[in-house]
Amino acid sequence: MSSTIIGSWADAGDEFSAPDITTNPDGTKTVITFRTNQDGKKVKVTQRIREVTVQERVHPLIAQRKSWNKYGKEKNSAPGPDTSTTQLGEKVELKLGLSWKQAEKEEEENKAQTSDKIVVQKIACRYCGGDHYTSKCPYKETLGGAAASETAASETSAASETVNGKYVPRHLRADANGNISKESRDDATTLKVSQLNNFVDEDMLRNELFARFGPLQRVTIVRNRDTGESRGFAYVSFFSEELAEKALNALNGKGYHSLILHLEWSKKKKTTP
Amino acid sequence: MRPIKLMGHERSLTQVKYNREGDLLFSVAKDNAASIWYSSNGERLGTLEGHQGVIWSIDVDPESYLCATGGGDLAIKLWKVENGQCLFTWESPSPVRRVAFSPDGTKLLAIADQVMGHIGTIVVYDLNLDDLSNQNLQPSVIIETHPDSSKANVAGWSADGAFIIAGLDNGFVAKYDSSNGELLDTAQAHGIHNEEKIFSITDIQFAPEDGSYFITSSKDKCATLIDVETFEILKVYKADAPMNTAAITSVKDFVILGGGQEARNVTTTAESQGKFEARFYHKIFEEEIGRVKGHFGPLNTIAVHPDGLGYSSGGEDGFIRVHTFDKSYFDFLFDAERTEKAAASGNI
Repeated sequence: MSSTIIGSWADAGDEFSAPDITTNPDGTKTVITFRTNQDGKKVKVTQRIREVTVQERVHPLIAQRKSWNKYGKEKNSAPGPDTSTTQLGEKVELKLGLSWKQAEKEEEENKAQTSDKIVVQKIACRYCGGDHYTSKCPYKETLGGAAASETAASETSAASETVNGKYVPRHLRADANGNISKESRDDATTLKVSQLNNFVDEDMLRNELFARFGPLQRVTIVRNRDTGESRGFAYVSFFSEELAEKALNALNGKGYHSLILHLEWSKKKKTTP
Repeated sequence: MRPIKLMGHERSLTQVKYNREGDLLFSVAKDNAASIWYSSNGERLGTLEGHQGVIWSIDVDPESYLCATGGGDLAIKLWKVENGQCLFTWESPSPVRRVAFSPDGTKLLAIADQVMGHIGTIVVYDLNLDDLSNQNLQPSVIIETHPDSSKANVAGWSADGAFIIAGLDNGFVAKYDSSNGELLDTAQAHGIHNEEKIFSITDIQFAPEDGSYFITSSKDKCATLIDVETFEILKVYKADAPMNTAAITSVKDFVILGGGQEARNVTTTAESQGKFEARFYHKIFEEEIGRVKGHFGPLNTIAVHPDGLGYSSGGEDGFIRVHTFDKSYFDFLFDAERTEKAAASGNI
């Protein structure tokens, strides 16, 4: 074993014996191998293999040409088709017959029809269900009030897009986590943490740095929009102003992952009179 | 069917060709390297490099030992297929439009275009097969364009190598004696089937089984099937766009035409209007029986596998698509064929 040269370390892992191959009377082979799985347990793998020899007769010249070495631009390429020059195209139909033109025309008509249907479905009046915009509904005056309140009621329960028939803009709605937007957020409990090392993430802040100041309402690290890399500062919302103040006093000017933290209130405190 | 897309060329294809056994596919384009592919899996065997510009034509000898190319750089080159080595280069007085080996592989035909003050010629070189890199610079036969006629665009050998048949720019086909270049026969193949103003012949290909007839394609939106011996027009296939290429299939009695809108008009119309499809016609009944889509530019060249198992097309879009026919293709029978078959089996 020591004398053999290991070509690749990936091949060298298994220390188990060579596969145990037995030939069955029906011509199949049973191959039993042992290997360790991800959990470190020894696993026995039994494979039954039937070998089928497919013989293909080719012209001897073709066989000879198959063994030629590549040259020109392909001189150093590996055997087999190169995906940069050779790809399998998408399926194409060849329907032979005199009626192919009609068949093709029908297909096109079908396609046009289905696309029409989609358009019809897209525009539907919320008042009367007709295929026009809601604002242009001819029954706006007569149907408008009743229908609108009906839809409003059903929609609040479903997606809470409207409240009491009033449209709530997206940025004022609660998101999937139940977080309510900035305007209604209590910024008085939020600290701005700057001079963070840029590998620090939300979990580290929540579970490491601010763990002893109770659960946090919200932790947001400001990231570069394109690269997703941290810009080195974060906003941390506490459940009470006292906790926030405690954290500010305890951690401001302390070191964290080789940088000295700088904490401040995210909103300038109004000086209490 | 699922075609194999070959993307080895950087510019539009000018000719594709199978060797005799159909295992190799030769392609040339308006870039300066010819490519040789294994037709079964689309693997590229290699490229032939040495031309300085567009290569208009390629041909391979029956043994797949030698390969010839002719290009716009006024060169005809002879290559060894096995290793891509350039064995010899002839100089041509004008761009070379077409090269073709004689059926026995001992002669090479080349068309020099009628440009730059040169009178269009078809020249025949006798190949020195004993010492390939030492060829005779002087052609054995020179066929010049007649003063009252038009230049040759394409040419090929009849099956026995006795005749050279050329497709001319004025829609005529001409038959020459290959031993001395004497003009034997002419016939107007194009420009008489419709009102089209341009009817130069764009391609000529011989019947795969015995070469006793050939097909020509033309800018006049037609293709014609012509008998070599009598020089009569046997069949006319009418299309709705200028045709750049035509091929005859073996096994089934079909012809495949390719073409489409002129390349310079392509950007001004929708793809569906371009008619960039390979068209299948029944060889005998002259009826169009199917189309194959895929290219997004006009088809410049089509070659049919010698065993009739598939075909390859090269387009202005720079791609080669290698198709292998499905079972339904081989099962297809024309109405008349089906009734005939039924009658035959009923009689027995």
